[in-house]
Amino acid sequence: MKAASNLLVPAFVWMRRLSLLIFCCVHSNTAVGAGVAVGTVIENTANITYDLAGTPLALQSNTTTIVVAERINVVTTLQSSQTLVSANDSARALLFAITNTGNGSETFLLAIDSNIAGDDFDPVPSTPSIYFDTDGSGDFNAADQSYTPGVNDPNLGADESVAVLLVNDIPGTVVNGNIGRSRLTATAVTGSDVPGTVFANQGDGGVNAVVGATGGTASAVGEYLVSDVLINVVKAQSVADPFGGTEPVPGATLTYTITIEVASAGTATASVLRDAIPTFSSFVANSITLNGVAISDATDADAGEIDSSSGTQTVVVRLGDLTQSDGVQTVVFQVTID
Amino acid sequence: MKILTAIILATLAVSAAAETHLDVRTTVQKEETFINDAGEQQTRLVAADIVVPGEKVFYTITFRNISEESADNVVITNPIAADLLYVDGSGIGPGTDIQFSVDGGKTFASAEDLVVIEDGVERAAEGRDFTHVRWVMKNDLEAGAEGTARFAAILE
Repeated sequence: MKAASNLLVPAFVWMRRLSLLIFCCVHSNTAVGAGVAVGTVIENTANITYDLAGTPLALQSNTTTIVVAERINVVTTLQSSQTLVSANDSARALLFAITNTGNGSETFLLAIDSNIAGDDFDPVPSTPSIYFDTDGSGDFNAADQSYTPGVNDPNLGADESVAVLLVNDIPGTVVNGNIGRSRLTATAVTGSDVPGTVFANQGDGGVNAVVGATGGTASAVGEYLVSDVLINVVKAQSVADPFGGTEPVPGATLTYTITIEVASAGTATASVLRDAIPTFSSFVANSITLNGVAISDATDADAGEIDSSSGTQTVVVRLGDLTQSDGVQTVVFQVTID
Repeated sequence: MKILTAIILATLAVSAAAETHLDVRTTVQKEETFINDAGEQQTRLVAADIVVPGEKVFYTITFRNISEESADNVVITNPIAADLLYVDGSGIGPGTDIQFSVDGGKTFASAEDLVVIEDGVERAAEGRDFTHVRWVMKNDLEAGAEGTARFAAILE
């Protein structure tokens, strides 16, 4: 279709319409997220067409070749959220993922460091302290295989990951609220150094290996939080029916008395009591008391309220930081049976 | 049979002659940073042999008319390897119009006229979509004259 055949339409519009017939031109290639596979050979040849003395002719240039080297990169990611522990716990695990973000196969050396500055205590590495999450459960159990440096260093293909557990014991001297940290480091065996460093012929298939932006080493830090305050909570109820008796009939008033007491060393920081109203009942307005002091139903500056935001009415009372010396805290509220 | 032979011979003759008209060469290079005599950091182009994902390579095509007649309608076409991403704006070719293809070389247009459809949505084509780049000489390539075409691409 030549533009000259239709004088009413400018040439560039024809070209644009032609382009609209082109569908989905995203390249398909051998690249993974980590980049083109190591050892891939990329050729380039230019073609030239021309007329000479009226004869159409064609030629090709030489073909250039480049070979893709291995780029070494690794990422270590913490998978566990802050893990709650108690003093003297043994074999408490933190879960990590190590991913080969380079473009070739690479073997990684793993190391644990639990003596990190800035936390409240040093977790004590168990023996062994590094495990593979062999059964993929995310937690530490008998099916997980231990790691020995130099013996079973993980070998990962490009974009491949392995799940690793760090296992530590918690010392007996910690108190509630203490934080202890443990670091897992993965380092590429081919080399780790300033990005751009070349390890000649050390890549897959004997091509060069070049250290990528990660430097060939990556670490992540997991955290234990000591949370072992013992709190005793007891709930009692009494019934008063409209006829002066104690029958649980419609219209009867139920009075709930909840006692809360810290029964160990340590502080239960920012304690909050939440108790949902039974479904067969209706909350008696303004019936909440804390240690005999009335608490308004509204959310205001006092220690509690009735919370209707979730659809079920819930009594909420903030008890603050509690220790054993604070003694028994008593919350009372009432409902009527529907 | 004689006519067929004559045609074959003529074709062969033309091919043989074609090889001596233009000298076309391609090089591939990459940038290297070095410290010059003044102690400053400078970059230069060096031959590219081994390349790492993310690195940029420069392709340069030189074409010289080594015949005694001028060549016209000269078009240099370079297919872009699947693992290379053309760098937008990197095409250079004095005396040429630079065009691109996004359909495997079937059609060509200037960069701003090309569109692609991705996930059902139409958008302007970018360097990464180009499958070919070509340089269309605006004038004849006179006998003895030489032209240069260059583009850059990044290895995925």
